[in-house]
Amino acid sequence: MASIEGKVGEPRPKDVHTVVDGLYHQPTILNNVETWANVPSIILNGSSWFASRGTKNSKGTKILALTGRIKNTGLVEVAMGTSIREVVFDIGGGATNGNPIKAVQTGGPSGGCLPLDKFDLAVDFDVLAEAGSMVGSGGMVVMDEETCMVDVAKYFLEFLQDESCGKCLPCRLGIDRMLEIITDITEGRGRMEQLDLLEELADTVSQTALCGLGKTAPNPVLSTLRYFRPEYEAHIKEKKCPAGVCKALIAYSIDPDKCNGCGVCVRGCVHGAITGEKKQVHVIDDQLCQRCGICRSECKFDAIRVT
Amino acid sequence: MLQYVDVSIDGAIIHAVKGTSVLDTAVEYGICIPHLCHVPYLSDIGACRLCIVEHVVNGHSEITTSCTLNVEEGMVIMTNTDRIRKLRRNLAELLVAQAPNSRAIQDIALRCGVTEVRYPFRNEDCVLCGRCVRVCAEVWQARAIGFVGRGKNRHVEYALGVRPDFCKQCGNCVQICPMTIPPCDGPMKPGEEYLCRKCESQLMEEIPGSCSWCKLGEGFGCGRYV
Repeated sequence: MASIEGKVGEPRPKDVHTVVDGLYHQPTILNNVETWANVPSIILNGSSWFASRGTKNSKGTKILALTGRIKNTGLVEVAMGTSIREVVFDIGGGATNGNPIKAVQTGGPSGGCLPLDKFDLAVDFDVLAEAGSMVGSGGMVVMDEETCMVDVAKYFLEFLQDESCGKCLPCRLGIDRMLEIITDITEGRGRMEQLDLLEELADTVSQTALCGLGKTAPNPVLSTLRYFRPEYEAHIKEKKCPAGVCKALIAYSIDPDKCNGCGVCVRGCVHGAITGEKKQVHVIDDQLCQRCGICRSECKFDAIRVT
Repeated sequence: MLQYVDVSIDGAIIHAVKGTSVLDTAVEYGICIPHLCHVPYLSDIGACRLCIVEHVVNGHSEITTSCTLNVEEGMVIMTNTDRIRKLRRNLAELLVAQAPNSRAIQDIALRCGVTEVRYPFRNEDCVLCGRCVRVCAEVWQARAIGFVGRGKNRHVEYALGVRPDFCKQCGNCVQICPMTIPPCDGPMKPGEEYLCRKCESQLMEEIPGSCSWCKLGEGFGCGRYV
């Protein structure tokens, strides 16, 4: 509305709802395009047609954007009430490269991550919200054992920090400090008391922010703390990344039993970190290695280890 | 003709002027709700979030800023619950960790109950409260400065970075800025910031909710001083 009125695109306090005072101070209804697209069919076919699908409080269908480590990615329309399991394993076709599926992030960057044992939950507004996530835009990112949940929280915080308008204190400073703490954790500087601080800060931001972005920005952090706390603790206590993602906490090495000295990795390494004669076991220099993963993707003998 | 509505703030029934905000009403009646970006003669933008209160509606509480909430007949407001005090304390902690080099900000932190700062201190010169932008736009109609950039890059600037000739250097922006009063012990150098806890607000720690005649109010005219 602000942009249409020629002002800077910033949210307004919603103490007076837009249906009372909105665009040009006229009563205004704002909805997502997907919501509006449902309206003509409901008018033509009747509300009972629409309400015949779905659950008690979540009627009709929802379009989900299915992505991540599954065979079938893309857009799919399902009836509300369909279980996450059915979406991921039946429609999505299950894991794409044999790695066990670990979690699903629903609702987009402001949504939450749900673990495998929550996959029987239904795609339903109240059910997912109660579990710490949301239906949101219908995004569903499927994650496997090679995804680090702390890294996921960090990734979404970086995105939300970029998108934040910066007007209100909790969102602007809160997201920044949450990111500061999580970055410390992913780089081996985390302390256990920071986990409690992170949770308290996330809780504060979600209750005090001016708009929906700020209010939901802590969701990736809160849901990963709720369901994947052992991963956070491993980063802090053992300074290890169980999924093998956080660059500062992993090391690349070559398995001498699998390496046959073909030299592909030596040529592929842009940092000059790998040395080795032809047909001799190659060696990675830990100081020069930037953990970019090029050698790992090029090695045809699966000889590169990440620990 | 002034119209009145009866509202309940912290259990007290107050005969409030219709069309005023909960914050203005509370401050008028001696109930202190800490605030930073609110200035009595400027528009309220709800940016600092310090003036948050619990608005009890249908049995549950909504947290909202009292500067943007207008009084309505029968409204029930709580300004000093444990929940509000904790949220306000966390916000003030973020604020003082960002910009400790101001007596007004240190005073607010003390007033909101901050006893320790759990984040590494930074030494920023601006808390983006928007007082300068609003006084220039609304009182002087000059609009010589404004917010530029989004999120972390948001800052106050002249248009295109150059002071326009319609800026008459009146100094109102400087006068109204909370960062222009240095800490009592002098400016803090980067790396040497700390929570000083010395302001007059400490005298009122026993009686939260009452006015402590804090530095910010004195310097920039909160409703009690005006």
